Amino acid sequence: MTTIWAGLSVGGVYAVVALGYNIVYIGSSTLNFAHANLMMLGVFLAYWGLVQLSWKIIPVLVVAVAIVAFASMGEERVAIRPVRHIQGQLVTMVGAATLITGIIEIVWGQQALTVPSFFSDTPHHVLGGAVLPGDLAVIGLAVVLTAAIALVSRLSMVGLRALAVSEDRDAAQLRGINVRRMQVGVFALAGAIAGLLGPFLGPLTFASYTLPASLAVIGFVALAIGGYGSIVATTVGAFGIGLVQQYTSRYIGANYENLMVFAILVVVLMALPNGLAGARRERVV
Amino acid sequence: MLARIRRVPFTVIPLVLAALLALLPWLGLGIYWNQEIVLTIGLALLVSGLNLSFGYAGELALGQVAIYAVGAYVSGYIALNLTSDLFVSLLAAIAAALVIGLISGYPGLRLGGWALAMTSFFLVLLVPDLVNIFQKYTNGTIGLVGIPPLTLFGQPLDSNQYYLFAVIIGTLWFAVFRNLVTSRHGKALLVLRRSPVLASSLGIGVRPLKLKAYALGAVPCGIAGVLFANLEHFVSPANPGPFTITTAIAVLAASVLGGSTSVYGALAGAAVLQLGPLRLSSFNQYTDAVDGAFLILFGVLLSDGLSGLSSRLAARWQRRRAAPGVGSTALESRAGREQLAGRLSGAPLEVDSVSKRFGGVTALSEVSLRAEPGKVTALIGPNGSGKTTLLNMVCGFYKLDQGKIGLDGVSLAGRSPHKVAAAGVARTFQTPIIPKGLTVAETVATGRYATAYTAMPTSVLRLPAHWRGQRADRQAASRALAVTGISHLATEDAESQPLGIRRLIEVARLVAAEPRVVLFDEIAAGLDDDEVRDLGEIVRELASAGGTVILVEHNFGLVLDVADEIYVLANGRVVAFGPPAEIRAHPAVLREYLGVSAEALEPVPGQTATEAHHDQPA
Repeated sequence: MTTIWAGLSVGGVYAVVALGYNIVYIGSSTLNFAHANLMMLGVFLAYWGLVQLSWKIIPVLVVAVAIVAFASMGEERVAIRPVRHIQGQLVTMVGAATLITGIIEIVWGQQALTVPSFFSDTPHHVLGGAVLPGDLAVIGLAVVLTAAIALVSRLSMVGLRALAVSEDRDAAQLRGINVRRMQVGVFALAGAIAGLLGPFLGPLTFASYTLPASLAVIGFVALAIGGYGSIVATTVGAFGIGLVQQYTSRYIGANYENLMVFAILVVVLMALPNGLAGARRERVV
Repeated sequence: MLARIRRVPFTVIPLVLAALLALLPWLGLGIYWNQEIVLTIGLALLVSGLNLSFGYAGELALGQVAIYAVGAYVSGYIALNLTSDLFVSLLAAIAAALVIGLISGYPGLRLGGWALAMTSFFLVLLVPDLVNIFQKYTNGTIGLVGIPPLTLFGQPLDSNQYYLFAVIIGTLWFAVFRNLVTSRHGKALLVLRRSPVLASSLGIGVRPLKLKAYALGAVPCGIAGVLFANLEHFVSPANPGPFTITTAIAVLAASVLGGSTSVYGALAGAAVLQLGPLRLSSFNQYTDAVDGAFLILFGVLLSDGLSGLSSRLAARWQRRRAAPGVGSTALESRAGREQLAGRLSGAPLEVDSVSKRFGGVTALSEVSLRAEPGKVTALIGPNGSGKTTLLNMVCGFYKLDQGKIGLDGVSLAGRSPHKVAAAGVARTFQTPIIPKGLTVAETVATGRYATAYTAMPTSVLRLPAHWRGQRADRQAASRALAVTGISHLATEDAESQPLGIRRLIEVARLVAAEPRVVLFDEIAAGLDDDEVRDLGEIVRELASAGGTVILVEHNFGLVLDVADEIYVLANGRVVAFGPPAEIRAHPAVLREYLGVSAEALEPVPGQTATEAHHDQPA
């Protein structure tokens, strides 16, 4: 059970990365490659506020949410809005991700930093396994945020508009949806959530400039398993990946955990190119 | 003076520059710059591998760094344990690179866009894990230490000789790369980049071509690995280090900086990143920020990089010098059409009770049709009547639910689109699909990829067959341009032409293929009356040259003018067929298709063309 908790908490981190992808994907049908880097910016801001400035948690959260949301909107303005073609966006989004990491390296250096947890460090025994309260918080946050975003996208007017944009951008625009404002909005929302999560993720992940690359990729694996835009299925996929990694690491070896995820990715993409919840289109010409 | 320089063959300049570069150590180049230039060549090799997949095949596959690591480890292991012979090291690394390129390229056949970018990115992240798993050979995190210098015929290379080796191997690869992308295979890659659908309708096998591009793109990465291992004499998976995401990003930045769809752009981009203020090899904390800024800046503002900028400047300079040419289109095209006579050997196309359902919708039911050589067979019907579906079934894009499709008695059923095209079926698209970065004449010549195939090694080695093929391509293209009356545009950029011209380019591309069956998919849509009349003449001309012509069209006037036989589709069924005079008066046609009474059409025959646009969905 301890392994399960460990897997779920790692999976929770992947789930919030993939959730960030989905929020942006639903509202603008782009895959925000830089989301993991934005999340890491949130973690570094948590370190900056909590350790370097010794602030209380609330002002740190406010500042982190504001800064990361602003960075995310900046990314949209500079790297995504001017480029509509997928080949161009691939380049500019990798660029945005690298630039964010680069700024982190310049400001905080290349050493991994420890972000203090504001939960206790003594493991609790839950359902027959040991788990840190901070890990439980990440799992809980991933579940709650997934449920909230899924409900908002299905039930609220804004959510339905966002779904319309992901379905067909031009048609949505013709129906009177302000596509541009929607796009800015989802980037701001995804950024704000990334900022909010910083202090919670930090104790688990450390503040490390090299981590976003693997978070981005594994978050994408979750997205591929669930299918673009399928919020709940993606989170389930993310928890599944966390579990697979922990079990692989325990029974086969730590060197194999990413290899296993890679194998899952290849199999999923080849067998189910649209994920568990996707449909195929036949018209080609 | 300038004119004399311009007469020098373009291939000579790079070779002279390479020779100069090779001589630098003997002209007093220090050891520091010696090493930096070798590293630049290594980076340029990696970038050219990326350019092949990203710039030409159009897919962002970022796995070069993983193959780079494989090349370095293979070369290092062999030098430490077996032999330090240069040729063995090089061949083993290239072989390993090819194998990895094929394995990692295989998912790339099905994937595209982000899925492929992420998968290949993931591959780079796996390098340290794989190094640890194969610890027995790679020495794990410690790495391969003290790799002995490469030897040539038993003699160890000193640093100047090693430099010479790097320049020679770099030059050889760039010659191969240049020969490949300037050949018809390079153009085929650009077609593929524009649209896989277009590629397969030109008879280009998408999967084999992509796989070749991925495999070939791995070769320079393997070579770069050899260069690195034997320059540093040390290979390890450490981060920061050469085999990390940072390098992958730098390769992408160099590619975009130099221009991804270019040959020498790879060298320019690599030189800026390696030798510029950044000093890639020092891996300082500014590397990522600057690379990221480069990517955004060039991705947004200058998507074809430095090479695009320089070729635009060169084009402007040449245009200013060239006298403006005035072409007489009408005269020229009449002459061209005479050349066409008898060149097309059409074959009868038979569609026999074909049905197709999409979910609950019956798009076609029991449709039969016969198109004869030398005749124009038109297919008309309201929107959603199944015309384009039928066209796509003939071309192999949809599977047959029921029925038969035969060309000259041979069944086309179950053939993939590129095989159908290779059998001699050529088509146009409702919205013309023109690849980016080709001139009008080059675009037209891409029609001949399958019908006059030259193998890739033939093109790369520039064997006589390559030159013969290229000459034949040029002649066929200029004939096709003459037929369509756009010879005066031969050297212009094809993609930026107006709609009417792009239609003509598509028609010329199809003529150049010398097809047996020609399918026109609504070629009159969006054109003015003069352009429609011109196209109508060309369509007739193709039929009288012996081709089998099928015209799917909304423009009733054009159909009445040029067709020998007309099939009318409604709700997926053939409701009438016969010669134009009969169809015009057919009550079912007037009711189902035009939605007007017979009297409305009779008095002013000349205006039927415009009235036919008011067709209503059935």
